[in-house]
Amino acid sequence: MEQKAIYELLAGKIGAAALGFNDEGVESYAEVAPEKIAEAALFLRDEEQLGFNQLMCLSGIDWDGFDENGKGKSVAILGYSADGKPETSDRVGEGDLGVAYSLYSHEKKHKFTMRVRVSRERAVVPTVIDVWSTAGWHEREAWDLLGIRFEGHPDLRRMLLEEDWVGHPLRKDYQMPGQWEQVPLEGKDMTASPFTPTSTPTTGPTPGAEG
Amino acid sequence: MSKDSTTPPAGYDVQRENLLDFKVPAQLQQVLEDDGRDDDKNFMLTTLDEVFNWARLSSIWPVTFGLACCAIEMMATSATRYDLDRFGAGAFRATPRQADLMIVSGTVTGKMARRLKLIYDQMPEPKWVIAMGSCAIGGGPYFKYGYHVVKGVDLLVPVDVFVPGCPPRPEVLLEGLMRLQDKIRGREAKLKTPKWVTDYAKKIPYRK
Repeated sequence: MEQKAIYELLAGKIGAAALGFNDEGVESYAEVAPEKIAEAALFLRDEEQLGFNQLMCLSGIDWDGFDENGKGKSVAILGYSADGKPETSDRVGEGDLGVAYSLYSHEKKHKFTMRVRVSRERAVVPTVIDVWSTAGWHEREAWDLLGIRFEGHPDLRRMLLEEDWVGHPLRKDYQMPGQWEQVPLEGKDMTASPFTPTSTPTTGPTPGAEG
Repeated sequence: MSKDSTTPPAGYDVQRENLLDFKVPAQLQQVLEDDGRDDDKNFMLTTLDEVFNWARLSSIWPVTFGLACCAIEMMATSATRYDLDRFGAGAFRATPRQADLMIVSGTVTGKMARRLKLIYDQMPEPKWVIAMGSCAIGGGPYFKYGYHVVKGVDLLVPVDVFVPGCPPRPEVLLEGLMRLQDKIRGREAKLKTPKWVTDYAKKIPYRK
């Protein structure tokens, strides 16, 4: 079934919560209001003509640095500078966060993508774990790296980082940590020339030894 | 990384280094040279250190420890075509208690750093570390934006040999192993950088 037709069906079900359909880009997608996402997901799975039995991917999105029309502005993402220290900035991130749901139907062999958009201050989206259980880990990952909370998720712990990690690293205003739990995360000074070593090499031949 | 160039970094065992650096005493040397007789030359003088070091370098047992894509090259090195066992280092032990060598093959993440330190601490002395590949040497491609990567395993444990490459080919790892054997033998590494290479490298403008 055509994606446009799928969207029409979806809009007939959830009404005003279907915010629009965009097929300008490479992948077309439907905008859905976040509070209706679970209902929309259940409809897409259970409707006879649609049968979206697989959630291929659930991705978090940070729209920091994008304007209203979705056009990008340049945002300097903070990293580590050449001397190994974390870069700092006072800039506070602006722009919404979002989640994209990529669906596939093994029966009907068609795809569909939904997007929700939530504000940065209150990034809460209802979970779809009751519809597709595979969403569990995906939502944990989106929580871990982007800080999007999924309401109703039974076990929303961090997925990749340790439990006591501070912040959500894939947000564009994230500042890199200098160390974590006595583990150094700062780099070595890369501005110094390798021919004037700043410290005693632990082992091996002296750097620059000639023979 | 320590600021003062005279202080060795933390965890660096100076005593161990001094032990490796021994010389045949002058008296023994004289006995060997000035005797003038030929019929008593069929004996060999050595020291216990020399024998022990020879035994150590001939059977370096690495711990089974692979972190990333470098580990694939490490496995290739230990497999039939390159055959790490030719140098006595083919017995990968499944426990650090039986191992002498830790080949840090791959990216050391912050989460892994604790485990790596634990494995290193569990290894009995004497023990050696090879930092294999760009990530283990200095963070590699994760230097700029790697919020989770330790930029060089020498920030955690003392490293004996750095093997560059991304990932290093098996030949390079074998080369690194042989340099480590030189080090255990207590001799200067055989491979020195030729003068023309360092001269040429100095002409390359370095990024500030």
